[in-house]
Amino acid sequence: MKLHPMIAALRRHKAGVVLIALQIALTLAIVCNAVFIIGQRVSRVNRPTGLDENNLMLVTQSWVGAPSGDQPGDVDKLDSMQQADLAALRAMPDVESVAPINSLPLLNSSWNGSAALKPGVELREGNARTTYYFTDEQAFRTLGLKLVAGRAFTPADVQHRGFRDTSTPPVVIVTKALADKLFPDGTALGKTIFLDGGSSPSTIIGEVDRLQVPGTGSWTNSFTWNATLVPTRLDAGFARYAVRAKPGRLDAVMHAVPQVLYGVNRMRVLDDDSVKPFAQIRQEAYRSDVGMAILMGVVCLILLGVTAAGIVGLTSFWVGQRHRQIGVRRALGARKIDILHYFQMENLLISGVGALIGLGLAIGLNMLLMKHFEMDRLPVLYVLAGIVVVMALGQGAVFAPARRASNVPPVVATRSV
Amino acid sequence: MLKMTHLSKVYRTEVVETYALRDFNIDVKEGEFVAVTGPSGSGKTTFLTIAGLLETFTGGTYHLDGIEVSQLDDNARSKIRNEKIGFIFQAFNLIPDLNVFDNVEVPLRYRGMKAPERKQRIMDALERVGLASRAKHYPAELSGGQQQRVAIARALAGSPRLLLADEPTGNLDTQMARGVMELLEEIHREGATIVMVTHDPELAARAQRNVHIIDGQVVDLAEDPRFHAHVVEARQGKVAAE
Ligand SMILES: Nc1ncnc2c1ncn2[C@@H]1O[C@H](COP(=O)(O)OP(=O)(O)OP(=O)(O)O)[C@@H](O)[C@H]1O
Ligand SMILES: [Mg+2]
Repeated sequence: MKLHPMIAALRRHKAGVVLIALQIALTLAIVCNAVFIIGQRVSRVNRPTGLDENNLMLVTQSWVGAPSGDQPGDVDKLDSMQQADLAALRAMPDVESVAPINSLPLLNSSWNGSAALKPGVELREGNARTTYYFTDEQAFRTLGLKLVAGRAFTPADVQHRGFRDTSTPPVVIVTKALADKLFPDGTALGKTIFLDGGSSPSTIIGEVDRLQVPGTGSWTNSFTWNATLVPTRLDAGFARYAVRAKPGRLDAVMHAVPQVLYGVNRMRVLDDDSVKPFAQIRQEAYRSDVGMAILMGVVCLILLGVTAAGIVGLTSFWVGQRHRQIGVRRALGARKIDILHYFQMENLLISGVGALIGLGLAIGLNMLLMKHFEMDRLPVLYVLAGIVVVMALGQGAVFAPARRASNVPPVVATRSV
Repeated sequence: MLKMTHLSKVYRTEVVETYALRDFNIDVKEGEFVAVTGPSGSGKTTFLTIAGLLETFTGGTYHLDGIEVSQLDDNARSKIRNEKIGFIFQAFNLIPDLNVFDNVEVPLRYRGMKAPERKQRIMDALERVGLASRAKHYPAELSGGQQQRVAIARALAGSPRLLLADEPTGNLDTQMARGVMELLEEIHREGATIVMVTHDPELAARAQRNVHIIDGQVVDLAEDPRFHAHVVEARQGKVAAE
């Protein structure tokens, strides 16, 4: 092919060639990995929690001067305060349903434990980590959970207990993920499990399709979808209520909730953060992921821009430097398109070498990230796509200067000094 | 082979219009060796660039090998340059990034010739100019005379019918110039048509025919008084140089 003299000529411009090839290699390595990380962040942010998130909000509040819960009778007192709140909220005209709940997915405040098939077994082989959602019979309607087996809670299932009480519930509902983990070979319905290494069994009465744990940190990766719903109101000096507004009435409910709660009992703390739409919980949970993804995206764009600019710059310089020999080539019979192709081909060659080095660098960088951070193996597809992108970038960048080169008139051969 | 009638070439810049050629008539027959002389700025190079399709002209007609060239598009002109014309420049114009072999190969590649044939022609051409042993050298490693011989080899390799040379010996000393001239004469004997611009009356005298250009026009050597003045000038210049 035409390559041999081109390579020979490039050998005499080593510095520029090496510079651009390395720039392309680095760009490829960084952009591949960055895009991969962005992709992972995006899919992480986009995974559904299992909730019907629209029209859902969370109220977090605490009572001033509430009983500590340690004295006999305190628990009942706290429970009646909570029940009063629930009744008031449920009576609001724009409210669809309300459930007391200790946390919600993405809230990053959780109560976690373990579920085992035998009593007295702490977290070990054969049992599973799980998070607990303490709630009542309105949880399904309020959270929009999808029951895939068994039955939901009835008011008769619901108990209440003090915050520090460690007694275990007689019935629970688990997520399908947890059920499959505990009973890989058959249905979990009607089976008993032992929570937190306890000795009294809890019977599984239902399975929900999907429900994420509150924690979003990487430490929850091993049990992201293992949740246990417990039909119990927790009684403490504070309480959380999940509230589902009627469609389109979320704002109205959010504005009205403080009044309603103060109407029940003035002695409580409600601040700006106490009433949150679920959208805000989601946004806060993933703020750093989204920020990171945007930052990396910007870095990638800058890197690609700088590389393109470098190619434009070097090619323009070369076109100027070779002005005369371009004229001579034209005089000797090169068509415009031949000159254009020459510079395009030259760029393809340099980018190709750069891409090859970049392929190695990309994989190396990925292995480094896997070793020192939590990072998955970079799929080859990303690198291949990256190669296509940087090659296309090179061709795009080289086009304008190459076209300028092709417009050098042949008369330059006789005229230039 | 090469026929221009009433040809004119105007260079327009923002301030002035220069008539580099006006009512320019010339007819070079197949197989002729024509030397073109004339004072500096008279239009010799302009004539050669138009003859070699490196530039377009403003008026008149130009037939090259029977083809009226003003109708041709850029690609067709490139093809004719490549196949029918060999150029030899005063400044040699070798490509510094390529060695001698690759330099001679340039026009052959643009012709789309196969590698074995290219190689054969390149070696033949280099043999002709006596530089076969320097094929791997770069232009910077050669003397001026050798560089010009490489340039001639490059012009020859494609076996052009017409060889255009613009002061091919202008940058060479007398001895080297003589060598180049002998080479051109040899090529001419083998049937090529040659048009050579030169300042050197001695070299011009060795051509079959002399064409003199003054102020963008071909003048009759015997009759034009301007010519005599120029010849005197040129001789004086030559004496002064020696
Ligand atoms: N690109 C251009 N733009 C404007 N004027 C030009 C251009 N090229 C040539 N000329 C003018 O055209 C005229 C003829 O120039 P040309 O180079 O043909 O002369 P020449 O006979 O080759 O001179 P020399 O012997 O010095 O090489 C000159 O007056 C020159 O200034
Ligand atoms: Mg000239």
